[in-house]
Amino acid sequence: MTVWRILTITVFFSTVLPGEVIGEYSIDNRYFFNEATQGQDKSHTSFTLSPELFIEEGERIIHIKPKFRKDNKDAERNLFDIQELYLLEIFEDKEIKFGISKEFWGVTETTHRVDIINQTDTSESFDGEDKLGQPMIKFSYESDWGLLDIYTLIGFRERTFAGQDGRLRFGIITDTDNPLYISSAKNKRVDFAIRWSNYYDNFEVALSHFSGTTREPRYIASEKKLNKLSPLYEVIDQSGLEMQYFFGSLALKGEFISRSGQGDRFTAATYGFEYTQVGILHTRLDLGWIIEANHDDRLVSSPTVLGTRLTLNDISDTQILSGLTYNERSEEIGFLLEATRRLGNCCLVSIEGVYFDDINEDNGERKIFQSFKEDDFLRIEFIYYFGE
Amino acid sequence: MSRSNYFFFKRPIALFILAMTLILSGGISANKGLEIAKLSDKNNDGYGDSSSSMTMQLINRKGDVVERKLSFKRLEVPEDGDKSIAVFESPRDVKGVAILSYAHKVESDDQWLYLPALKRVKRIASKNKSGPFLGSEFSFEDFSFQEVEKYEYTFIGEEVCKDLICFVIERRPLDPYSGYTKQLVWIDKENYLVQKIYHYDRKSFHLKTQTFEDYRLYKDSYWQPHMIKMINHQNEKSSILMFEDVKLNTGFTDKDFSQNSLRRSR
Repeated sequence: MTVWRILTITVFFSTVLPGEVIGEYSIDNRYFFNEATQGQDKSHTSFTLSPELFIEEGERIIHIKPKFRKDNKDAERNLFDIQELYLLEIFEDKEIKFGISKEFWGVTETTHRVDIINQTDTSESFDGEDKLGQPMIKFSYESDWGLLDIYTLIGFRERTFAGQDGRLRFGIITDTDNPLYISSAKNKRVDFAIRWSNYYDNFEVALSHFSGTTREPRYIASEKKLNKLSPLYEVIDQSGLEMQYFFGSLALKGEFISRSGQGDRFTAATYGFEYTQVGILHTRLDLGWIIEANHDDRLVSSPTVLGTRLTLNDISDTQILSGLTYNERSEEIGFLLEATRRLGNCCLVSIEGVYFDDINEDNGERKIFQSFKEDDFLRIEFIYYFGE
Repeated sequence: MSRSNYFFFKRPIALFILAMTLILSGGISANKGLEIAKLSDKNNDGYGDSSSSMTMQLINRKGDVVERKLSFKRLEVPEDGDKSIAVFESPRDVKGVAILSYAHKVESDDQWLYLPALKRVKRIASKNKSGPFLGSEFSFEDFSFQEVEKYEYTFIGEEVCKDLICFVIERRPLDPYSGYTKQLVWIDKENYLVQKIYHYDRKSFHLKTQTFEDYRLYKDSYWQPHMIKMINHQNEKSSILMFEDVKLNTGFTDKDFSQNSLRRSR
């Protein structure tokens, strides 16, 4: 059924619609080294198709990009999402976007505190970089005093979670069928957001505010299903500040938020620096260093992340990322290594390894990676790009 | 106009006065080198705005060729460096990636990178200009506009270059983040066009040779080379940059080089 649907949509995109249709197919396998705590399988394969149409005509842009994902083990990982489906009209220094789109806010590399327009697709990957399309009307105005974006967000997208048969999940399943909302409009609530950004020489700054349904739920015991957690989507107000300052190859970055609406008002922050060594050891290799610290009022302690980015600057754009996250209090470590490389002109291959460790199991602290303890994995992804 | 003009404005004037003082008190060779550079730079003036398609060929030691395609838009900014936007067309995994640059006469250029998959704009730290561009033998620096004010000059002499007579001048980048210690530049006596550049790396080793070919005249004043070759003598690789569909006066304004226009590039 799914295969038929994907084929039909591909044919539709490549023949019925005008303009240039491009897109990507990808196949992704995650192999978990250890037996799961609740009997899930060790090997999980998923297939993703994402065709794309981008039409630019004078002062008007139409962009369409659906995404389909099929997982061979976890039904909760199956996805049909419209990432982009909008009309953008440009009027000199103003623009209006109607439809579904993705919008990124933020400056830091490891945790995105301020970014809030789109819901996170946590079932795709647990790094939080994958997002779901958000219906909106966005008005944007650019002038000497900066860039101002005003959003009316129509309707709400629920967060995705790995299901019963999936890995990288909490010990207790999230009951995605019975989400709870504080707003009587439930997932139909209209939310608002505003962001101003500007730069002054080597200093960049942005201020933002969001008022609406939280993208990051709290969890309570499900009333309808035993031993399940229901995500609780409350109505929040969140103000954000982003700053970065550059000198030479050093960039200082920080993101700060203050949120109310989920219990007590709290603040959270991610801040640190990025430093790039160009042409290390008289080669053409670049090595970037990232150190980012975290603070979150809700937690007793937050991790610090050390990242490196090795760029080979070769024909295949080979890049190797590493990330080490360490929580001083819980004495837990997470380690990630990811290498990507282009194959020919059509394809990209990416290999990722993730490892979790607990240095001192008996220190009496609450463990953050507790649920992922047996979820060390190796992931191989192959992407094929179609269309010119 | 650039909203941060104020910050760029004051220091260049001071530096210019300083440079003039040094030039006036300096030897005739420095003066002549600068004069030639200025006359040569005039060939880059008066294009207003332009658009073109660029094809870059990367050639390895064995002669294997891979291609990259970009579309390129430029806007001349009087009294400052130029603004430009380069959008990658191929290879496919970087399609839609765009770089917005605001060049400045003396200060480091401002550059932003747009990553369409993440919908994210990232500022590029200015020091990273000496790194290779898209895996080619060109560096980011070779791509940026080589404003006269960014170098100090010495006149070396005259020499035959291909079928022309060229001035040979030496220039030293004033930017401490440049990947080069010096460059030898061959400029023909007829039209003051840059024909060849020898790039010397931080160890003063003759690292790369850049040649400019197929110059065409636009609007009776602006010369555009349609082929630029870069040979790296150390790794024996080379890169060729070809310009097609060069159009002038396409009607671009500042808004086509704004932060929003970068986000719109795909």
